[in-house]
Amino acid sequence: MNDQSNSSECKKSEHFSRRTLLKGSLATGAGAAIPNWGGLFHSQSIASMAQKLGKRCILLWMNGGASQIDTFDMKPGKATAGPFREVQTKLPGYKVCEYLPKIAQQVDKLGIIRSMRTASPDHPDGIYHMHTCYKQSERMPHPELGAMIAKYLGQTDADLPSFVRMGPTGNAGSGYLGPRYEPFGIERNGNMPYFTSPYLPAANESRRNDLLRFMEAEHKKENSADAYESHRVAKERAWRLLKAKSLFDTTKEWPKHQELYGASDFGRGCFLARKLTEAGVHFVEIGQDNYDSHADNFVCHKANMQILDPAWSGLLIDLERTGQLQNTLVVWMGEVGRTPQINNRAGRDHFIRGWTIVLAGGGIKGGVVYGSTDADGRDVATNPVSEGDLFATIYTALGVNPRTKHFVGTRPIWATPEGSKPIKDLLL
Amino acid sequence: MMPNSNFLRIKLSCLLVLACGTLSLAQVAIKQNKAESTPLRQTIDKAVQESWKKEKIKAEGKCDDSTFLRRIYLDLLGTIPSYDEAKKFLADQDEKKRDKLIERLLNDAQFPQHQTTLWDLTLFGRNPPNQDATRNRTLFKQWLSEKFSKNEPFDLWVRDLILAEQEGSELYYAQFNNKPEDLTESFSRIFLGTQIQCARCHDHPFSELLQKDFYGMTGFFVRLVVMDQGASGTGEKQLKKFKIGEKNSGEVLFSGNQKELKPGKNGEPIKPKFLSGALLEEPSLPADYKEPEFKSGTKTMPKPQFSRKEKLAQWATAPSNPFFAKASVNRIWSQFMGRGIVHPVDNFGTDNKPTLPDLLDNLTEQFIAHKFDTKWLIREIVSSETYQLGSKGENKESLPKHFERARIRPLSAEEILTVMKVAGGDPEQKSEGSTGEYFRRYFGEPTNGLGDFQGSLSEHLFLNNSSNVRAFISRKKGNLADAINLSKEPWDQRIDKMFLSVLTRYPKDSERAKFAAYLQSEPKSENLVEEAIWVLMNMSEFRFNH
Repeated sequence: MNDQSNSSECKKSEHFSRRTLLKGSLATGAGAAIPNWGGLFHSQSIASMAQKLGKRCILLWMNGGASQIDTFDMKPGKATAGPFREVQTKLPGYKVCEYLPKIAQQVDKLGIIRSMRTASPDHPDGIYHMHTCYKQSERMPHPELGAMIAKYLGQTDADLPSFVRMGPTGNAGSGYLGPRYEPFGIERNGNMPYFTSPYLPAANESRRNDLLRFMEAEHKKENSADAYESHRVAKERAWRLLKAKSLFDTTKEWPKHQELYGASDFGRGCFLARKLTEAGVHFVEIGQDNYDSHADNFVCHKANMQILDPAWSGLLIDLERTGQLQNTLVVWMGEVGRTPQINNRAGRDHFIRGWTIVLAGGGIKGGVVYGSTDADGRDVATNPVSEGDLFATIYTALGVNPRTKHFVGTRPIWATPEGSKPIKDLLL
Repeated sequence: MMPNSNFLRIKLSCLLVLACGTLSLAQVAIKQNKAESTPLRQTIDKAVQESWKKEKIKAEGKCDDSTFLRRIYLDLLGTIPSYDEAKKFLADQDEKKRDKLIERLLNDAQFPQHQTTLWDLTLFGRNPPNQDATRNRTLFKQWLSEKFSKNEPFDLWVRDLILAEQEGSELYYAQFNNKPEDLTESFSRIFLGTQIQCARCHDHPFSELLQKDFYGMTGFFVRLVVMDQGASGTGEKQLKKFKIGEKNSGEVLFSGNQKELKPGKNGEPIKPKFLSGALLEEPSLPADYKEPEFKSGTKTMPKPQFSRKEKLAQWATAPSNPFFAKASVNRIWSQFMGRGIVHPVDNFGTDNKPTLPDLLDNLTEQFIAHKFDTKWLIREIVSSETYQLGSKGENKESLPKHFERARIRPLSAEEILTVMKVAGGDPEQKSEGSTGEYFRRYFGEPTNGLGDFQGSLSEHLFLNNSSNVRAFISRKKGNLADAINLSKEPWDQRIDKMFLSVLTRYPKDSERAKFAAYLQSEPKSENLVEEAIWVLMNMSEFRFNH
């Protein structure tokens, strides 16, 4: 591992460039056909609607890889411990980092896996692996978790995309599932990607679209091929998405939620995620920059946790308050953990021998700490969990069979690799 | 070069020809006679129609002239006819007009360009490795388009591609610099129609391919050296040149099943082996041979005493090769018929049988008998009744398995861009800076990897709201919108012109009436005309070649 190359690589993801924006906007999806966006928000019908729509997933992506020892797997008194102190959680005997005081009060909702042992030690390959549960080096177009969820939980006639993401996130896209399930990339404040502002006045746009609908109806009378239908459906989806555009705008509600989620871009993204999943988006991913602390690990983590703590706990509280928590799985992870040993720049490097990922909500048993690392945190001590096991757990919690089979050409490929097992202790 | 190795080389190539050449030469003679008696187009139709009978399939009838006109333009030139061309062809009463048009388009300067675009995409894909080298493929495309301009026999240009000694041709290897395994995958897929990448990591579960077969093929590429010859220009336009050298030594090291790999375990050297064929016989190097050190920055190296790539070129493109001609015919067929007789085209194997095995054999034999004449093969395919079937009907399949209806294939990104310019009435229009990039991004890979089209949200957001697309539609001096606005003709005729320009057909009465009402709904027509042209360019009918 080369620190220098890593830190230069890591910087790229720090800003939301035009290019990432464009890449992210390769999009499609589903959600639910809900006619009236304005009236829906915060209404009493949300919970029952949610049940009808089934499960969703929000992925909090810790870009660069957060340190397990400085968060959920503290090693007080050991050489690897670092300067952070512990704070007692709601769970007797279990302590987390002092900079996660709010999350400490939500531990009864969390399933904490402290025994991740993974196989891809760097950023591009780790980001790929932790989004697809397959190695990048297999050179197969594996789809990301979000695309799989879009395919299996999303609804074709929905107004909203099924897979929305913001900030620094995955790098695999919809892979072999195809452009229908591509992520729809937006900014964490809800700003839309390019080409979502019509250039025509509304009245002209509307008559123009009606003329196209007429032409398509004429064409459909004599032409039945699937490809035509796919084109027509995507066109209608693009129109419906723009009608629902106001949903992405959080300008009005944000001041009221800022205190709960914390006044940060990431917090605002978490709030928007809750709003979107509530409205029928099945998978939302929000990235937080940047945990890749090869130098000054503790400064970096303190700053990041102060943003993360209110945002994440606020999200869980808000989901519970709106009756969404049992339907919404919240995943907290990055591409790698960080080394127990502290390097000579007060940094921690990439670590895959024993690190932490946290699940909460939909289908997950709260207040469970699963697996452990040894005294210094140098390796998994009990219950190692692989990428495939994690994904099998996530898929099972969301009601998707982890051994769902697809074909790429004539080659069969499964949602999770052979031998992956869901973690029973964490599943409701 | 030492005399005895020269001798060996000659002896070896003689052996190869003797071993596999005799039988096929006799076959060729017979097939040539047969070729003259029945045109291939009739053989195609007979075989396809027999399969309909057997499968009890009701097929579509012949397509109408406007469908044919648009289809053949797109398939042979990658564009659509202009308004004038369309009008003239549709009015033409000549019974032979389709054949005449095919001949004219096959001899159009755009035909080799379009073939070049298609094969360039096949050989490099949308996101080729070694981006710095492959971003600007001007030289490669020049090399390839010369081949198609001369209608060089298919086996000969592929041989030159394998030898990589002509300027431009080196880039195919350069994209896989130091990755002979990736090159093996690509080469086998494209030219041998065989997906052997599974065997890269493990023995193939349901075919006879072993890992040793994969690495046996890799042996032909492992000694190649990509030599950087410098670059001209900067940024996106930077043009890099390469030469391909070949070392005298170096072997693939094979270390067994990937899953069972242990660190520190050394692999055993694997001898080159032709796919499903013999081990390569090659002279052994003197025991004390030491390969000269290859320094980066080296621009030339001497030819090796024994060239493995020459042996591969001979074997791969020989008429007797069990894969090459068949895979090539199948791929060319799929360009026009939407799917291969073996589909996907790069996946021949015991688990993926051809739908019309006899026809595939027949096509292969005749392609060989016609000395790999690509233009002849294309002419026969597009002149068949099968190619000229209608595209309507209730069948939902976009790529019907038994070719009982024309395929519905999405236009490529390059085609959409070209077609929008022609349809908008300004074929020479320069596009905005990033337009080409956007088109490739939003229209570049519209399928799910199994060939099924999937409309994407981003494609439509781009079509609906981008100034890049609007630039081809809105009124500008001399373009279609301008002509329609300026015209004093009755609206019906102007509407005919719009339809013919964009969709290469006249409107139905219901459509004409609807457009007439639309275009006259306001006193000023400019906005309405732009909107109407946008509608035609956004139809699914426009999105596909049907």
